[in-house]
Amino acid sequence: MSKVNACVIAGGQCKFGVREASYIDMVQEASKACLDDLPDLKPRDIDGLLFASTYVGRNSCQVNPAPVVAERVGLKPTSICTRVDVLCAGGSSGILLAQGLVQSGMAEVVMVLGSEKLYTPERWQIQYGEIAASDHDWDAPQGIGPPPLWFAMQAKDHMKHYGTTREQLAAVSVANYKYGFNNPKGHFQNELTIEEVIEAKEIAAPLGLFDCCPLTDGAAAIIIASEERAKDLSGRPLVYLRGGAQVSLHSVTANWPGKHLGDWPHMKLAAEKAFERAKLSPEDIDVAQVHDCFSISQIIELEELGFCKKGEGGPFMASGQTNLDGKIPVNTDGGLLSCGHPLGATGIRQGIEVVKQLQGRAANQVKGARFGLTHNLSGVNVEHTIVTYGREPKK
Amino acid sequence: MKGVPILEGRYSNILDMFPVECKEFNRIYTFYNNLKEGRFTTTKCKGCGKVSYPPRVICPECYSEKLEWIDLPTRGKVVTIAEKWRGIPICFTPPLIDAWIEFPDGSPVKHVLSRLINCEVGQVKEGDEVQLAVFDVPSHPMDKGKESIMVDRVFFAFEPVK
Ligand SMILES: [Zn+2]
Repeated sequence: MSKVNACVIAGGQCKFGVREASYIDMVQEASKACLDDLPDLKPRDIDGLLFASTYVGRNSCQVNPAPVVAERVGLKPTSICTRVDVLCAGGSSGILLAQGLVQSGMAEVVMVLGSEKLYTPERWQIQYGEIAASDHDWDAPQGIGPPPLWFAMQAKDHMKHYGTTREQLAAVSVANYKYGFNNPKGHFQNELTIEEVIEAKEIAAPLGLFDCCPLTDGAAAIIIASEERAKDLSGRPLVYLRGGAQVSLHSVTANWPGKHLGDWPHMKLAAEKAFERAKLSPEDIDVAQVHDCFSISQIIELEELGFCKKGEGGPFMASGQTNLDGKIPVNTDGGLLSCGHPLGATGIRQGIEVVKQLQGRAANQVKGARFGLTHNLSGVNVEHTIVTYGREPKK
Repeated sequence: MKGVPILEGRYSNILDMFPVECKEFNRIYTFYNNLKEGRFTTTKCKGCGKVSYPPRVICPECYSEKLEWIDLPTRGKVVTIAEKWRGIPICFTPPLIDAWIEFPDGSPVKHVLSRLINCEVGQVKEGDEVQLAVFDVPSHPMDKGKESIMVDRVFFAFEPVK
């Protein structure tokens, strides 16, 4: 049996931000940006659609949105047409699923499209709706759903156990906003100083405004194709999906799997599984997009991914190791902190950035990048999703 | 008139942050009945002995349906605490205070994340002991034959030990 490899051949996103547009408007903008990225690709070439969105059901009152989306963007799927709801990891879940569909031969060319309309005509509904993001009967009534409180506790525990400082948290926001400065499609295009981050208004101590990713509307689309179709359709260097993992060990916060809140064993396991499947190690990765929903998240993620030792994420950030000349460039398009976080679109936005890096056409280019990785956590840190990409297929 | 006239004054189940606890809609209603008596309980498997939290209708370890209710501690120690003033859902009044609470050695459930109520910001410190606090949750209407009846509810948080 000959093995089918899955490649990424195109990607595009709409402008992320506070948009005067509906989810279905942004879906159309993103699919146009995606097909404009590879003008030879036409809607009729695409046989599958995976639509990643969580709040479409709640904020836009639309369930089973996949056929609605397919129609608006001119697709007539014949292999798959379905919605993926994994909150913050919907997009990367779609990419993992598309990889499986293509490798199995069930689909040939799949569009993974994510869109999230988070702003509602009255603002109170946004935070109220976030309550649904945690385990409804047990965590929502404790006020966990909007995640800052829970991540503030994770930051406090990490500080307590490893001596991480407020300045080191701020270094994450400074680094990611710096990368986002030249990304016109991100939510923000301004740089920050450590002082500005520390002095910003408090959200949940120790986290301030710039330690938290903003609420953002947006959509992004990416095309996964079999290697054979990829060669037909694209003249660019091929980027292969190598392998990934999605790990969920608990849902209710009471069943947190770590020794303390700064210890994320479910993420460590996801990293181990993804590297094993991709036949890669942390040392092989040239560029990574990790889930910086909060500054503290990125610090812990760098540790659990094995880019630095456990407990050393703070000093690692503060010493500039995620810059272009550092040990591992991270969130090179601005990350969630600067681009914003339209949940289902985020993993796709990250995937597009990694593909551009591996094809040598990123705005903040990592020289000679051959392997890349994306990571998302979902909800109140109950699930971890990792996707790996390479200039060559897994042997 | 506002945009959705049919919702004026009506209960919206799909927007309810609290569980629908009554026996007509929930097989673990015993948990809430016990709460009303000040007991914090969960289920234990009679087959393999596994204690699960939250309570179940099957044992997640051996899939037995033979479960019994056991009491959990109603006092614990605060490990980590955080407060939030902004971006609080309208169902809570700021400041929203949450704590990661550790139960005493020997408890089958090690931790719980809970709101702290009946206290001011700064009053409870890490290491302090807190206790279960049961409070009333707004009732909801439910169809009963051709009638609509109101169903009472409770939920829990923790508070400083007095
Ligand atoms: Zn059992």
